[in-house]
Amino acid sequence: MIGKLIGIELMKIKRKGIWFLTVLGPIGVVALQIVNYSVRKDYLLQQSEDDWLFYLLNTSSITPFAIILGIVILTSFMASIENETNAWKQLVAMPVSKYSIYLSKYTVLLFLLLLSASLLTVFTFIYGLFLDLGEVVPYRELFMYSFYPLFAAFPVLGLQLWVSFVSTNQGIPVSIGVIGVILSYSAYVIPDWLIWKWPSLMNQWDEPLINVWLGLAVGFILYFIGMLDFHRRDVK
Amino acid sequence: MEYIVETRKLTKRFGKEFAVSDLAMKIPKGEIYGFLGPNGAGKTTTIRMLLGLMQPTAGSVRIFGSDLKKDRINILKKVGSLVENPSYYPHLTAAENLEVLRKIYGTEKNRVNEVLEIVRLSDVANKKVKGFSLGMKQRLGIAAALLNRPELLILDEPTNGLDPSGIIEIRNLIKRLPSIYGMTIVISSHLLSEIDQIATTVGIVSKGKMIFQDSIDVMRTFSKQSVVVKVNESEKAWRSLMAKGIQGELHDGKILLVDKTDQEIAAIIRNLVQNGHDIYRVEEDKRSLEDIFLQMTAEEERV
Repeated sequence: MIGKLIGIELMKIKRKGIWFLTVLGPIGVVALQIVNYSVRKDYLLQQSEDDWLFYLLNTSSITPFAIILGIVILTSFMASIENETNAWKQLVAMPVSKYSIYLSKYTVLLFLLLLSASLLTVFTFIYGLFLDLGEVVPYRELFMYSFYPLFAAFPVLGLQLWVSFVSTNQGIPVSIGVIGVILSYSAYVIPDWLIWKWPSLMNQWDEPLINVWLGLAVGFILYFIGMLDFHRRDVK
Repeated sequence: MEYIVETRKLTKRFGKEFAVSDLAMKIPKGEIYGFLGPNGAGKTTTIRMLLGLMQPTAGSVRIFGSDLKKDRINILKKVGSLVENPSYYPHLTAAENLEVLRKIYGTEKNRVNEVLEIVRLSDVANKKVKGFSLGMKQRLGIAAALLNRPELLILDEPTNGLDPSGIIEIRNLIKRLPSIYGMTIVISSHLLSEIDQIATTVGIVSKGKMIFQDSIDVMRTFSKQSVVVKVNESEKAWRSLMAKGIQGELHDGKILLVDKTDQEIAAIIRNLVQNGHDIYRVEEDKRSLEDIFLQMTAEEERV
């Protein structure tokens, strides 16, 4: 059943611009580096011994911000598909469990975000090659800086999905989303326990993996709470 | 008797307000059940509870003899519904909208074309629903409700917001359904006139309570007929009738005779003629079902 529902969700996101946004995100992140390196490549290459790593660090400074923004936009699009004509009442009156409805939408979002992260890896790699940053490509870091921020952003995904699915007023999830984007932008100054800081992979122990594991754990908990709350609520 | 839908003490509370209280709904198999009540009486809330969209505060719902709470998914496989304004995905075409739902039901692929044919939307199957008129959207909603060949069809205010030709179209469509598929239909409405002609059983709610539930024929017996006679010198005529012990009312120079048999009416007229009165008009004044409905709901409100 869940496979069928995922197929249906994929049908529903046609012509909504969701695929476009999924591709646009990583292009945007790399495009900023294209601007950065076109303007002051010589200066940037002087900054570090390891040009590849420095390039990846530059790229990854925008990634968390782009991921949070992407999550906010995609969840709100996803909710708008059902909210627009209150199709929730039609969907929930069908012979499917509300848990699987929630899970199918979550899965589709997860798939889109993973696709986005993969594209980011590819685009970053291609532009890095183009810049001719050295023989040895740090594949591990390349992968790390594309996927770790996404894993660390799972709590934000869980929260946004939950709030946008249960609010009749989409102003609420969008407001939370905007605040989240601003917080993620101020990652340097906010405390470690705020989930919007986690995608920056910064913490007082200087160990990015802590953010990843925390992200996966808290993300799962928030997903679960959201699903239970969605199940419990009446459909208006 | 076999009931397709049976609720017991069904109650829904929003904060302090009881939207539905102790509602006992009984819908026999094969009936077209008209679910009537003024706006805000609790019709939509009841229907949402029948579909599992809302959890009752208390009481139970049994559909096809099983408990909705325990067996929701199996019950909903045999139920089609249209709740209030139609839900659809505007960026998808009519056929795509139905295909999305068909996949969940798992009915055969051609079923989409069949239901589009039934509601006569085949011509616009590949157009986006965004551009449809309200009547077309409503028909698409009915098509969606028919996808799984339901044994129970629940339509909440299916003609709401439609123009008269749209209303007639939907009504004719609904009328055809039970004969073709042998299904049981529930239609809610705040207008009796809308389901007067199609419903076989009626349930009337007011303030969340069921105040009448029986066949429409029983309801019709409430519509007492009266005969209005217009004569010259009406007061004198009325007095002469009273003198003979015939009960009547005098209203604006007309005599109102309530609940008389044909023979009694004939005798009264003969009497008036023999007394030399000129009779201008003898009219039947039938109280419409609408009047009864209004009276019932008004009485409930006064209590």
